[in-house]
Amino acid sequence: MSRQLPLILLLPVLLLVVVWFDDPGPRSDFTWSTTSDVFTLDPQRMSYLEDMRVGSALYEGLVRFDPQRNGFDPGAARSWTTSDDGLTWTFHLREDGRWSNGRPVTAHDFAWSWMRLLTPDTAASYSGLFLPIDGARKTWAARNEDLERFAATEFESRMQRTEEARRLWRRHEERFKSDVGIEVVDDSTFRVRLEHPVPWLLDLVAFTPAAPVYRPAVEGWPDDAGDGPPWFEAEVPDWNDRTFVRIDDDSGRLFQDHRWARAGRLIGNGPYTLAAWRYKRDLRLEASPTWRDADSIACRTITKLTIEDPNTAVLAFESGAVDWLNGINVDYRVDMIRQQESGDRNDIHVVPAFATDFFSFNCRPALAGGADNPFADAAIRRAFALAVDRETIVRHVTRLNEPVATALVPVGSIPGYEPPAGLGYDVERARDELASAGWSDRDGDGLVEDPAGDLFPVTTLLYTTNTPRFKRMAIALREQWESALGVRIELVGKESKFYRNDLREGDFMIARGTWYGDFGDPTTFLDLCRTGDGNNTRMFSDPGIDADLDAAALERDPDRRFELLEDIERRLFTRHLPMIPICQVVDVHMYDPTRVTGLSDHPRQVQRLWNVDVRDDPIGGSEP
Amino acid sequence: MSGRSGHPLLRLVGWRLLQLPLILLVIYTITFVLAWLIPGNPLEQPEGRRPPEEIVQAMEARYDLDDPMGFYVDYLGGITGYDWIASGGQGSVIDFGPSLRHENWTVNEILSSQLPVSIVLGLSAIMLACVIGLLAGILGALRPGSWIDVLTLLIALVGISLPAFVTGTFLLVVFAVSMGLFPVGGWGDASHIVLPAVALSLPFAAYIARLVRTGMLEELRSDHVRTARAKGLPERVVVFKHALKNAFLPVLSYLGPATAAAMTGSFVVEKVFAVPGIGTHFVDAVLGKDITLITGVVLVYSTLLVLLNLVVDVLYHWADPRIQMG
Repeated sequence: MSRQLPLILLLPVLLLVVVWFDDPGPRSDFTWSTTSDVFTLDPQRMSYLEDMRVGSALYEGLVRFDPQRNGFDPGAARSWTTSDDGLTWTFHLREDGRWSNGRPVTAHDFAWSWMRLLTPDTAASYSGLFLPIDGARKTWAARNEDLERFAATEFESRMQRTEEARRLWRRHEERFKSDVGIEVVDDSTFRVRLEHPVPWLLDLVAFTPAAPVYRPAVEGWPDDAGDGPPWFEAEVPDWNDRTFVRIDDDSGRLFQDHRWARAGRLIGNGPYTLAAWRYKRDLRLEASPTWRDADSIACRTITKLTIEDPNTAVLAFESGAVDWLNGINVDYRVDMIRQQESGDRNDIHVVPAFATDFFSFNCRPALAGGADNPFADAAIRRAFALAVDRETIVRHVTRLNEPVATALVPVGSIPGYEPPAGLGYDVERARDELASAGWSDRDGDGLVEDPAGDLFPVTTLLYTTNTPRFKRMAIALREQWESALGVRIELVGKESKFYRNDLREGDFMIARGTWYGDFGDPTTFLDLCRTGDGNNTRMFSDPGIDADLDAAALERDPDRRFELLEDIERRLFTRHLPMIPICQVVDVHMYDPTRVTGLSDHPRQVQRLWNVDVRDDPIGGSEP
Repeated sequence: MSGRSGHPLLRLVGWRLLQLPLILLVIYTITFVLAWLIPGNPLEQPEGRRPPEEIVQAMEARYDLDDPMGFYVDYLGGITGYDWIASGGQGSVIDFGPSLRHENWTVNEILSSQLPVSIVLGLSAIMLACVIGLLAGILGALRPGSWIDVLTLLIALVGISLPAFVTGTFLLVVFAVSMGLFPVGGWGDASHIVLPAVALSLPFAAYIARLVRTGMLEELRSDHVRTARAKGLPERVVVFKHALKNAFLPVLSYLGPATAAAMTGSFVVEKVFAVPGIGTHFVDAVLGKDITLITGVVLVYSTLLVLLNLVVDVLYHWADPRIQMG
């Protein structure tokens, strides 16, 4: 035994040495935790809320969301003007805007970044929002055609292939400069021309995917010393000398390596710089000394942890390791909210999100199996909607007391827009609607039949199984529909990927759904009901609604436009009912308001991390 | 049997190492097909929203997702090192490609940052399990039916039957939140290891305790132990030298797969203790259809499993030369 003892002891010592070198680092001024890591720090490629939140600390777009007023503040631009027809927007950049390497932020930076956003090769998921920029759609299509043609062409040599791919890319760049309504008037003036008015353009401009990136960093230019000419005056290095981009020989596409977006390489123009980022562990931000208002930043260091288990995250908060938690999804959150309401604790915050939970009807004429779809008939959809008792659901089923919703746009989320009331709870009317469609209980067995005596088809209700929330909602709805309408409901629970697949293929009768709006305009919700919209999984189609949405898009008077949209929403949710809105989604946060200040209740969860302050000694003290 | 073509142990090692690439190729193929069959698209947005069709196409083309055969072959070139040789030594030798979901990272980077975490945690847990399991097993076997035996049996039962999210949460609430002895989660210094290692070790410890107890009971009744006692050897020597040596053999064969399982991380323990190891990918990467990451973790796990089984076989041979190797 004594012979093997040193060997056996060696292992624990080795383990300790490994751990020793894995330094956790000092605690930051402010620490928050989320259930998933940031997916990307490339602003153009972002699509997740948490990515954009970190992105807004690292980069600064032309304008900033003002979460307190639900309006806009100057960002990289100090002012902006709109032409009378609403088609031309001119942004005047501030002179003191700096990249984190000290270089000035110019209109060229925005022009290049927006080209990146509007190039198919980048495959940015939010490019679609920016396609109304004049010529953008056409240039996008032209690039795609070029690429398709390239892929189908035979070349004599590798060299020729490379040459042609690079030539096509140059052509795309030139076309973009000449045909797309993005213009560098001078170094500090940036102009955007639109195809048609976009009243919510500032929302898009403030959106993190429209933030600028620093080209020499993103492309990995060999040498960017601070004293040379700015990049847009310098000669662009040869492809072989750019570390992070290349033109792929096989597809002809621009390939972008995202390794520039790492601590030490990432260059931003926002209030913070990236000090460290370890995958699924932590991400550390440090106040940027080059930011325009650097002295005003209260928390000099910020850490975002990734704690995937919601229960562990709450325990981490309770132990004091985390200052702010959002999106709390533990089962006992309801009890914590009750404690908050009764004054036993003060750190739970229920914030309405820019999102609505609903149940979708399949509006296709036939079901996936070929059978007739009863829900193609709006009267039946109305009957089901009228039989839903939302108050019971939010009080006793979800138990979060969310604001109930009879229409799609969340109430109070868009200044100046009043979402209309849709169909509420009215069992009598529900039965009348069903009877008018030919279904009533003719033989007194409690189930509805058609005149021929056939029972109403068993209705499947599809929900996702990733949280118990939707299962509970589905069970409550089954109960309500079966007792009010005399129909039979069958619950189908599926994992979200299978559920999405079913939605896309129209293989459902009624399915749960949630929609988070992207920008502060009702159309971010109402477009779901447009014929052919990619997210209209219900396949609802009404020419009148489509025509009126088009008409509203052309309306120049903002008040009149909102009136038109309100009218569309009213018709959608009193007459057509492509879906049954249930309630607004709420987000549950945890932070001690006597310690942490500066977090906002903005409906789209915009947070200005640079305004957050954490006190070491709580105001008024707290009990041990 | 031996002596026909070299040392039997060397033959065993050589033969197994030759098999490894073939095994991995089969596993790669099966994993790839299954991963491709997961519905949906790794580039999918939260809540199932869909960017305009032209953007979806651009995304799929970018990642080769419109061409399964091309993907399979290209990827095989990266992971076998063929691409590395063909390109004259550029990039990594074995390249698992970029993660399809976490595009800022390559699978190589994810594995190299997270595998050490899982290995450290797994080895700590297995060592702890050996210590607890051996002690409990020996104590139980020495006094079968006594309260110590019943107690260790009970603990073993709890260790095997309670899921880690229960024991883990219990440990967190008691030792981290209430007593404040350890951090709640995360990774970085030795204090972070203790609670997850304990939680991870419990089922292994319980199993080892049962194996040792059964083996010891049998050994203590055997002829050679009776002889040793008759010779007047002290009880300590009888138990540790004569009985335990043989009773430990089943534990040794269990340790191979157990170490592989512990080292590749436990999904639940890593989740509960917020440990940044690779265990979570076995579930998350599948849910996210992150084909490259799934392939990476499965191949790493398979390799570890094969190698650790080999190590156990070699140790077995060393511990008990009577065993024939073939």
